[in-house]
Amino acid sequence: MSVAIDILLASGLVALALQTVAGPGLFRATITFIIFGLVMALIWARLGVPDLALAEAALGAGITGALLLAAIQRLVHGDPQALRKERRHVSRLALPVALLVSLLVAAIALSLTGAVDARPGEAATLAREALAGVELGNAVTAVLLLFRGYDTLLEMTVLLAASFGAFASSRASLGDDLLGPREREQSLLDALLTVIVPLAVLVAGYLLHAGGEAPGGAFQAGAVLGAAAVLLVLGRRLSPNPVPSPPERVAVVLGVVVFSLIGLLSLARGEGQLLALPGMWAVYAVEGAMMISIATILALLFVGGRGLRRNQR
Amino acid sequence: MSTAAIYVLAGIGIFGIGLYGLLSTVHLLRSLLSINVMSSGIFLLLVAPPTRAGEAPDPIAQALVLTGIVVSVAATAFGLALLGRLHAASGSPELNDRYDDDDDADDS
Repeated sequence: MSVAIDILLASGLVALALQTVAGPGLFRATITFIIFGLVMALIWARLGVPDLALAEAALGAGITGALLLAAIQRLVHGDPQALRKERRHVSRLALPVALLVSLLVAAIALSLTGAVDARPGEAATLAREALAGVELGNAVTAVLLLFRGYDTLLEMTVLLAASFGAFASSRASLGDDLLGPREREQSLLDALLTVIVPLAVLVAGYLLHAGGEAPGGAFQAGAVLGAAAVLLVLGRRLSPNPVPSPPERVAVVLGVVVFSLIGLLSLARGEGQLLALPGMWAVYAVEGAMMISIATILALLFVGGRGLRRNQR
Repeated sequence: MSTAAIYVLAGIGIFGIGLYGLLSTVHLLRSLLSINVMSSGIFLLLVAPPTRAGEAPDPIAQALVLTGIVVSVAATAFGLALLGRLHAASGSPELNDRYDDDDDADDS
């Protein structure tokens, strides 16, 4: 019975992928891609990896979907035909190349699977042994912050660099000209925001706090906070601002700065090596700073502006 | 067929579908969607392979995929910004060199 669910989910995922890359209409392909992300989140849950399910639902489907739809709105605003005049240019090589590369990937995957069967993953065993000695109950958070800290710091740097690139190259921000004038009767939307935004802040705080012991962490929490900001933009409480305010500048770089400073601190005091976090307080400080940076960067990427300002009502 | 085998096969299939999509379009929005589909296939291949019975999937693979999801969101956002700028500058959401060998692109 449970295999039937797996087959349904997997074949649904493949069908959605086909629709995304080859289905008619770019807008429809984008919506299909968002559904693809949600099915992906279900599959992560089926595979027993709730951290990834949360991240996929919040980031892969939610924030990426919002970014795609905002980009489409900008494209179509300047040129109503931007999505309609898609030309398909199917190279004769496309199908053979895709098939051959898939076979190559299949061979790699088979050899990996065979290796795990023959000799239980040594890296995983070593990680579990090391994890037995730390205070963090969530193995994924422990790997991210304690054993592969460089990865996480560089990941924040990638996000920061991508946002600088996007701010530098984008011209059209998602202001009133793109969203249309504020509806006079939007009391339902206002009521929804009054409930959802405080709830999102609460959920983000929970995910951040729970991240040490249970599924959750800075990235999921940051995505939820960022999504709340996206809702505030759509509800016209916030508008893009061409110049970032000083708190926004600080928030964008906070994650990288706090992580680097705490990492350097332990090096300077001669305890361990670079990026060895000195204790639980450091883990929570780094996670909190990263959450604020991620939320700010995602919200700014969505509006395509360099800052946000409050709308006077 | 085991759960792991089903999702490994799906991961391979999705990677191939994404690659085919990337090779068969000139519209940059569709290219970005295809790249995201490809990366989902890779993530599935990293996490789905079986571990010893009764154990949770490898935490290192999970951490790598979590990093991958965040990086692909960042890359998509940057790609979308470049796409918007290109469209504003050239009036076309396509890259011209993608169809240089095309019959109707003699003027390029």
